[in-house]
Amino acid sequence: MTHTVVNIKFWDKQSPRMKELRFILKRMKSSPLSIVGLAIVVFFTLVALLAPVLAPPQPNRNPYMIPRYGYSPTPKPPNPVNLFGTTEGQYDLYYGMIWGTRAAYQIGVLVVAISALIGIIVGGLAGYYKGVFGEVLMRVTDIVLAFPGLILAMAFVVAFGPGLNSITVALILVWWPSYARLVRGEFLRVTAEDFVEAAKAIGCSDLRVMVKHVFPNTIFPLVIMASLDIGSVVLTAAALSFLGLGAPEGYADWGQLISLSRNYITGAPGNPFAYWFAYVIPGIFLFLFVLGWNLLGDAFRDILDPMIRRR
Amino acid sequence: MKEDLEETLLENEQLKVEDLTVRFYTYEGIVKAVEKAKLSLRKGETLGVVGETGSGKSVTALTIIALTPTPGKVEGGNIYFRRGAGEVVDILALKEAALLKIRGKEISMIFQEPNAALDPLYRVEEQVAEAILAHRRAEMMQKVEALKPKALTNRSSLRYRLPVFKRFSQQKLLRRVVREEILSLLRTMEIPDPERVVDAYPHELSGGMQQRIVIAIALACSPVLLLADEPTTNLDVTVQAQILDLILRLKKAFGSSVIYITHDMGVIAEISERVAVMYAGSVVEVAPVVEIFKKPLHPYTQALLESIPRPGSPFKPLPGTVPSLVNPPSGCRFHPRCPFAMEKCKLEPPNLVEVSPEHQVACYLHTAGE
Amino acid sequence: MDRGLREYLAKRLLLIVPTLIGVTLLVFAVTQLFSPVERAALYIRDPRQIRFVNEIISKYGLDQPFYIQYVSWITQVLQGNLGWSQSIHQPVLETLLSRFPATAELAIFAAPITIFLGIYLGKLSAVKKDTFVDHATRALAVVGWSLPSFWLGIMLLAFFYGGLGMFSPGRLSPWAEVLVRSGSFKVYTGFYTVDAVLNLNGAVLLDALSHLVLPVATLTIINMALIMRVMRSSMLEQLGKTYITAARARGLDEKTVINKHATKNALIPVVTLSGLLTAGMLSGVVITETIFEFKGVGYFAARAATQLDVPAVLGFALLAGIIFVIANLIVDLLYAYIDPRIRLG
Repeated sequence: MTHTVVNIKFWDKQSPRMKELRFILKRMKSSPLSIVGLAIVVFFTLVALLAPVLAPPQPNRNPYMIPRYGYSPTPKPPNPVNLFGTTEGQYDLYYGMIWGTRAAYQIGVLVVAISALIGIIVGGLAGYYKGVFGEVLMRVTDIVLAFPGLILAMAFVVAFGPGLNSITVALILVWWPSYARLVRGEFLRVTAEDFVEAAKAIGCSDLRVMVKHVFPNTIFPLVIMASLDIGSVVLTAAALSFLGLGAPEGYADWGQLISLSRNYITGAPGNPFAYWFAYVIPGIFLFLFVLGWNLLGDAFRDILDPMIRRR
Repeated sequence: MKEDLEETLLENEQLKVEDLTVRFYTYEGIVKAVEKAKLSLRKGETLGVVGETGSGKSVTALTIIALTPTPGKVEGGNIYFRRGAGEVVDILALKEAALLKIRGKEISMIFQEPNAALDPLYRVEEQVAEAILAHRRAEMMQKVEALKPKALTNRSSLRYRLPVFKRFSQQKLLRRVVREEILSLLRTMEIPDPERVVDAYPHELSGGMQQRIVIAIALACSPVLLLADEPTTNLDVTVQAQILDLILRLKKAFGSSVIYITHDMGVIAEISERVAVMYAGSVVEVAPVVEIFKKPLHPYTQALLESIPRPGSPFKPLPGTVPSLVNPPSGCRFHPRCPFAMEKCKLEPPNLVEVSPEHQVACYLHTAGE
Repeated sequence: MDRGLREYLAKRLLLIVPTLIGVTLLVFAVTQLFSPVERAALYIRDPRQIRFVNEIISKYGLDQPFYIQYVSWITQVLQGNLGWSQSIHQPVLETLLSRFPATAELAIFAAPITIFLGIYLGKLSAVKKDTFVDHATRALAVVGWSLPSFWLGIMLLAFFYGGLGMFSPGRLSPWAEVLVRSGSFKVYTGFYTVDAVLNLNGAVLLDALSHLVLPVATLTIINMALIMRVMRSSMLEQLGKTYITAARARGLDEKTVINKHATKNALIPVVTLSGLLTAGMLSGVVITETIFEFKGVGYFAARAATQLDVPAVLGFALLAGIIFVIANLIVDLLYAYIDPRIRLG
């Protein structure tokens, strides 16, 4: 039998990467929950991107500060001017929802990205070079992970002073250890594989081996963790804002807006749900945002896990 | 009808697998793992089933006790089995309740990785006891009854007559009786120091020892058929020899028939009386062991034998790879790799036909296109 | 307890010491983010002493290098001096001790329910994989996990308390509070439910229980989700293993195979998770307590944080860390008890 050398291009239907992509898409289609998750995430992403169009900010103002329609403390129900109504202090809820989406993405993506980056560098070095550094790192992460995230973040925020920047930094400090652990574990696992020995044997420099060979194989668990974490980060940030440690009053932050509704959850005499919009609307946005990312993260996990195992 | 089932097996046949088809429904497509497989086993014989990974041998074995792994589905065929008492049943038609009486009692299975076949959280005694109590409880209770008067008369005070205490002491007696039974069973397995082994957890034992425990569990209820799915593949060579030896002797002692699955031709030669060769989900050749080695008829069997490394002669590997079972080749699944492939081979898969006494082959080279 | 377990326990107890030291180090590191004047509050037991800031700074070496400071700080901590909380007007340690029973009471009700429900639903979901039950429970799990705890609490309050007038916030209704503080009600444990039983007072017992309903529900809905997911995936992993097929091949009925073998093996990772969740509930569920005005450790932590009350917040953090370390130890021991491979390996 003769052998033919086959040149497979990337976009060729038969190439391994295309097959993997098709596999991923097919798996996604078959699970209704992942489609829902994807739809929700796409929706929120669009809202965040189109924020200036959907809710034009006032000139010469920080676009994240919600415009006020008066100063009365009583929330006003949805009306033609305020599509979702207003909350205590007459902050427009519609504006708050739109720009709140952007704010949520801002903090979520920032915290996760930087935590992951720190985790990759620190964990990667620890996992690749092994030895004492790795052990010390594990002890440090053990200790940081010993504290409930919210309480530790609170401690940091009290030290830095309340505000969005504080909670961002605090959350990064709380979140990076999980990534460091994950990456170190993955690096340890992958560097034990034969192909890494082979790469080293033919003379690849350490950096090249790490970046080109080890890292791509550790990506999948990272992606899964990151997509699941965006939801948790946004939730924790919202909790901190709710407590008054994060976004200032009037800022487009869902947690902050929910906290503004606290005085009105019992409604008015005779109508217990009179101010439902003040807490239901921001809450629904927050909930759906987190739900979407959690569903997406779950979908990634379901799909990428057999791919990891298949290898 | 029982009478009809009786007709399906010959007097001395223990098991007949007829046209078994098993398909797996996965995300990557439908895996046609077993396609119209045929096997037949006589009472007290050892049938060796040889094939590479993907040949469908493990799936077939599991299907014989109706434990096809998910997402597999049996799509056709029959499995006729003659029970110890003589009655013939169709395994694939039985309900779960009936199957529970067959698994472990009439047909037992031993697995490739002994460590994986034992629950790591329970001691050996508990796991063997499970098997015994599942099928031989009445027998054990009889022994307990026999012991009882002696045990009770030793302590005749009123306290020991109370029903609660009676139940409690009955449990203790049962444990003792079962433990004795297990110890004697382990001794039959030629396990030295059974007292220590019985109290141990699986991970405390060596691979060979674990496999003996697995065999002990399988034979605890004297099954008429033992399915052995590569039980020695993961063991060291010396241990492998011991276990093979053990199986052969136990087979004689218990009088069971054995289906021994492996990909190792050496083991096949040692242990089988007849051999069935499987490729890509079908049985391609069946013959007595000496015939298979001396006169292999199917090109795949020939290639298998030729690929065994021999000192002095050059390597003769079989070109190509095992085909994808999602899109298997048309007709005879071996034709892409077969040096003698004809046009006919691409159209219809050949049937397994007897071409000389006791020798069946599924190949158009030897059969006239039936 | 066999010898293997005892050795394991000894080893783990030894390992705790460095971890505890680490926990204190981290809390201490946070204190270093403050100026010496701010840190002074950590060392006083009486608010009037704050006038003597400079003396405090020199006495405890607050402007010295950090290793000297650590020693003087940790000595104070070990003597029980965690500073003065200006938001609560009490020494921090006293606050922690007096508020802990409330949090513990909440945890004692919430944790077992959460764990039990999570395990039960997770197992059900795995055994009936890909059926409607499975999809429904998984959807429930994902929804529960995505719910912001403060929003769920608010919604529950709005509906039940606002709408139906049931389950008011707080630990007790006003009349019960008055009764409990009066001399006729002896407070033995600080757990209002237990104390009510000990005082043979059914009314207070019912009142305390009714105030626990919503906070426990909130905690349960959210945390049960996590346990459910882990149990489900753990069960599925076990059900695919060879020893399960081998057990079936022995002729064991499906119920035994699942309950005796698969479940026990599947519970191992769940034990760890349950321990951590319980520890989390004990170290003060800040949000839930705040929403329901349940005056436990978390409630005061939140108040302290908003008022930038450094000693209080750090005290709570320290408590949380210590509880976590102890919980880990207990979990490890449980693990070794269940899985013989751990203690003998």
